[in-house]
Amino acid sequence: MSNEHYEMDPTPGEKLKAIFKQRDVQIATAWGVLVTFIFFIIGGWIYPSWMPTALSTDMKAIERLIVIFTWISAPICGIVLGFSIYTFMHRHKGDTPPADGPAIRSNPLVVGLWVIISSALCLVAVVYGLIEMNSATAATAENKTSALVVEVTGSQWVWSFNYPEQGFSSHELMLPVNRPVEFRITSVDVNHSFWPVQLGVKVDANRLQTTVVDTTPNKIGELEVKCAELCGLYHTYMETTGEVMSKADFDNWVTTQGGHTA
Amino acid sequence: MTTLDQHASVRPIPNPAKSLITKLNMGTGIIVGVIFAAATYFGLKDEDMLSMQQNSKVLLATMFMWSIGFMVGIGAFIGPVRWLIGKDLTDEEQLYLAGDGQGIKRYFKYCTDHKVVGIQYLVGVMTLLGVGGTMAMMIRTNLIQPGSQFVNPAVYNSLVGLHGITMIIAMIIVATGPFGNYIMPIMIGAADMAFPRLNALSWWVLFTAIPVLCSAWFLGGIPTGWTAYAPLSVQAGPGMNAFIATIIIFAVSTAVAGANITATVVAMRAKGMKWNRVPIFVIGATISVALAIPAFPTFMLSMIMTGLDRSFATTFFDANLGGSGWLYAHLFWIMGHPEVYVILIPGVAVLMEIAPVFVRKPLFSYNAAIAGFAGIAGLSILVWAHHMYISGWMPMLNGPFMVTTEMISVPTGLIFLVILGTLWRGRPWMKLPMLGVYAFLWNMLIGGITGLYLSDVPADNYLHGSMYVTAHFHYTLMGAALTGALAGLAYWFPKMTGRMLNERAGYISFWLTQIGFQILFLGMFIAGAEGQPRRVADYSVNFATSDLISTIGAYTIGLGMIILLWAVIHSWRHGKIAPMNPWGAKTLEWTVPYPVPLVNFDTPPVVTSDPYGYGKASN
Amino acid sequence: MSADTKFHVHHDSPEKIGRRERLGVRLLIVADGAFVFGMIFSYFYLRNLNVNNGWIPEGGHTFSASSGWVVVIPFIFAALMHRLAVRSGASFKNLSLLTLIVLVVGIVLQWKQISTMPFQVEGEEGMVFGYEGSYSSSWVLIAGANMFHYIITIFLALGLFIRARRAEVDPVLEKWRMATATSWFTWVAISGIACAITTSFI
Repeated sequence: MSNEHYEMDPTPGEKLKAIFKQRDVQIATAWGVLVTFIFFIIGGWIYPSWMPTALSTDMKAIERLIVIFTWISAPICGIVLGFSIYTFMHRHKGDTPPADGPAIRSNPLVVGLWVIISSALCLVAVVYGLIEMNSATAATAENKTSALVVEVTGSQWVWSFNYPEQGFSSHELMLPVNRPVEFRITSVDVNHSFWPVQLGVKVDANRLQTTVVDTTPNKIGELEVKCAELCGLYHTYMETTGEVMSKADFDNWVTTQGGHTA
Repeated sequence: MTTLDQHASVRPIPNPAKSLITKLNMGTGIIVGVIFAAATYFGLKDEDMLSMQQNSKVLLATMFMWSIGFMVGIGAFIGPVRWLIGKDLTDEEQLYLAGDGQGIKRYFKYCTDHKVVGIQYLVGVMTLLGVGGTMAMMIRTNLIQPGSQFVNPAVYNSLVGLHGITMIIAMIIVATGPFGNYIMPIMIGAADMAFPRLNALSWWVLFTAIPVLCSAWFLGGIPTGWTAYAPLSVQAGPGMNAFIATIIIFAVSTAVAGANITATVVAMRAKGMKWNRVPIFVIGATISVALAIPAFPTFMLSMIMTGLDRSFATTFFDANLGGSGWLYAHLFWIMGHPEVYVILIPGVAVLMEIAPVFVRKPLFSYNAAIAGFAGIAGLSILVWAHHMYISGWMPMLNGPFMVTTEMISVPTGLIFLVILGTLWRGRPWMKLPMLGVYAFLWNMLIGGITGLYLSDVPADNYLHGSMYVTAHFHYTLMGAALTGALAGLAYWFPKMTGRMLNERAGYISFWLTQIGFQILFLGMFIAGAEGQPRRVADYSVNFATSDLISTIGAYTIGLGMIILLWAVIHSWRHGKIAPMNPWGAKTLEWTVPYPVPLVNFDTPPVVTSDPYGYGKASN
Repeated sequence: MSADTKFHVHHDSPEKIGRRERLGVRLLIVADGAFVFGMIFSYFYLRNLNVNNGWIPEGGHTFSASSGWVVVIPFIFAALMHRLAVRSGASFKNLSLLTLIVLVVGIVLQWKQISTMPFQVEGEEGMVFGYEGSYSSSWVLIAGANMFHYIITIFLALGLFIRARRAEVDPVLEKWRMATATSWFTWVAISGIACAITTSFI
């Protein structure tokens, strides 16, 4: 029934123009643009301001990705909130129901447009995510040979780090800057999740199984290592500290721990 | 087998007053249940009880026997046994089971009337929400500042898990339980559910799970969170048995209720109610329960395996002997992800039912709404492994799972379109149910968008297992689904109780809850982005501000919920008497008086159009 | 007690009730199917993963795959016979007795299978300690599920047998119910075959 109004117009393009000539659509769109703008600005700085200092390329990539995703979703917020705000401002109060509105049953053009736009935004997000994943995988292959190996073992409720190359173990995670590092993670009891926060890496430590993950610390700074999978009574306290340090400092530290430097 | 539609048969009718069924009720159920449980416990108990295996065996057996005993005592097996021996229940007896003329007593019996079951579910859901909410308050109190130590870590872990599972159970039944049972059959013009006895069964089976779940407190709690990941759950103390038994019992209830509701909608619609004339709430509830039918058995399976590992030392999850925790994660999330949509879809469908009534416009694009629900339900069974991106089980499949997960945003978008399109160019009547529609739009927007980050593999590497995830799913489950269910409560309260919900208290509660909700989970989003893991009893000083914000928000919600509880109880007893159709809606449930007659309609209704015929004819 | 009721006993046609019940049973079969699917999935998942070579650990036993097929045969027989019984109508009474007997034989075989499984590790003083590995665990679970199917199916077969002897039941509705039971008989046979195929992969 409702489509009759639009079916008089010959092409979808003209129909679309006709839609945007309507005053209420214009006002709602204006609200939408405003909301989009606000989300765009907020998204640009709020996440980086919340997230801890990035000490690796992976963490930097995550930060960038979250900002870009916020930007992609800003127009969605704009559309939904713009139209919601408009209708909310034309609300009806009182104890009797309002008069009936127009009997709009559907509008194929709007539905089609909506599906196309949301699919397109979804596609952008998917493609962008896949590209980021791919570059991380490529980096892994590249790092394979030169990586410093750290064997991470989770047990209730402590992290241990074994440096096989240097031949010693520690409960603190010290890493040299700008050298790829390969974590080999396992657990001796229940599942834990190895999370060196500032490195943007997180992998489960599965009981008696080894998972491998790599990253390249590229900035000197303090590290926090946490457990991100509930692992029993003192899960909360299963954390330790560490540091990304210069090559010289790292060698020094290795020596004091009783290890041997290459 | 069905109560009210029993085919006439010529044979002498026994007087039901002498029949066993008149003697049974909740009290006899509890007595027989306790006897069964005690006999099992003391029968199996031996000096070996200190070993975890023996302990688990005895406790699990005791819990199941309690449940079976209760069902025996309340008379759940009379029907099947009478079928077995070829003496089907007579019309008289079925009428008695339907609670005809038994007043308040029928709420404590094995009553097959769908309206009684609906009220039972409503009270049950409110109890569960109250218990779960109280635990949420305790969790937030413990997190009010670093090192507050309101409870010790053991109790805290237990609180987190029990809050989780209590709320999940409550949320799964929050809309399909009360409204799906009370309102839905009337909405489609049916006299009762397809299988009234199964309907009573689903409620009372669920009821037996509640004491089992509560017993976890006295058995040392559950230290695993509601996900109960193995091998932690295999290693955990005796409280874990309560969790296992609860889930298995609950899965039975869900399968039965799901089959019942689906069959009702498929086979019991009024004359003329073609598929394109079915109210959208009915469609949503049906898709939701139909999705639950295949989903929950895998959860049940994972719990049976955990129980076997604990009590018979099988090795499903023991990596030492060929088991794997990944197997648990798969089974759990194959259920777990459809399950969140089982929760979400009915809540959304309630709001879609409400919007046209209060805007006085037809539902915008009925087909898009169905496509949205069906799309979500269909995709939801293909996305489970996005919970396992970082588990290391098979990183090469992370990409495909990311694609399917992000594709869900398209049918979800349709849901927004339907609601926005319905609002557009109308003048929304700002009654309590309508406010829920707006709250949904905002909450689901935030919940949906934050879900986009989590669906992305690299971003999930950072956000997984953090407070960010907790905030995200509370936005979708509480902000969207619970808001929908509460809007439904305000909307259908007049039909279910005959009285209007106190408006002023409703508004105050709505705004307190919604504002508190934004504060609480804004704080949690910040904490998560800052790097606070979830399920921690304590945290370092740099998260202090965001956690304090969260706790303030939580208390605000708590206050709002208490006011709502008061409003519900007060209005139920002393509220303004409701007219037959206070909102001017066009669905069938508003054509029957309160109290609703036993068979709902004196003459079966005939449907000639869909229930959204609002609006001026011309555009 | 409710003799003076205002209630109008209105009766749907037996066809309508029968169709509805068949739908309900099929939906419950979907639920059971998800469970069986999960079990089979677990079997193959653990088998392919073979974590730390623990599928069948060193010195572990295997169990003959044919015993998995033996317990399915009664299911298949029962399903066929029930189908035949539904078709034949008049001779239903006798055939339903035969179905019942076949199923009882089946449950005995199933019990024997479970009790002869060599999987349990014994500790000191003959105390059962646990299971050997994930192969044995998965096998036992599948056997247990089969047992559950036997119990439910025997309940059904017993009911149909007893009811066939009583004249009071509505013949039209009863016919629908027998047809509905066919769905279940067929399903347990299919599920049994699927499980037997699964356990053939040691």
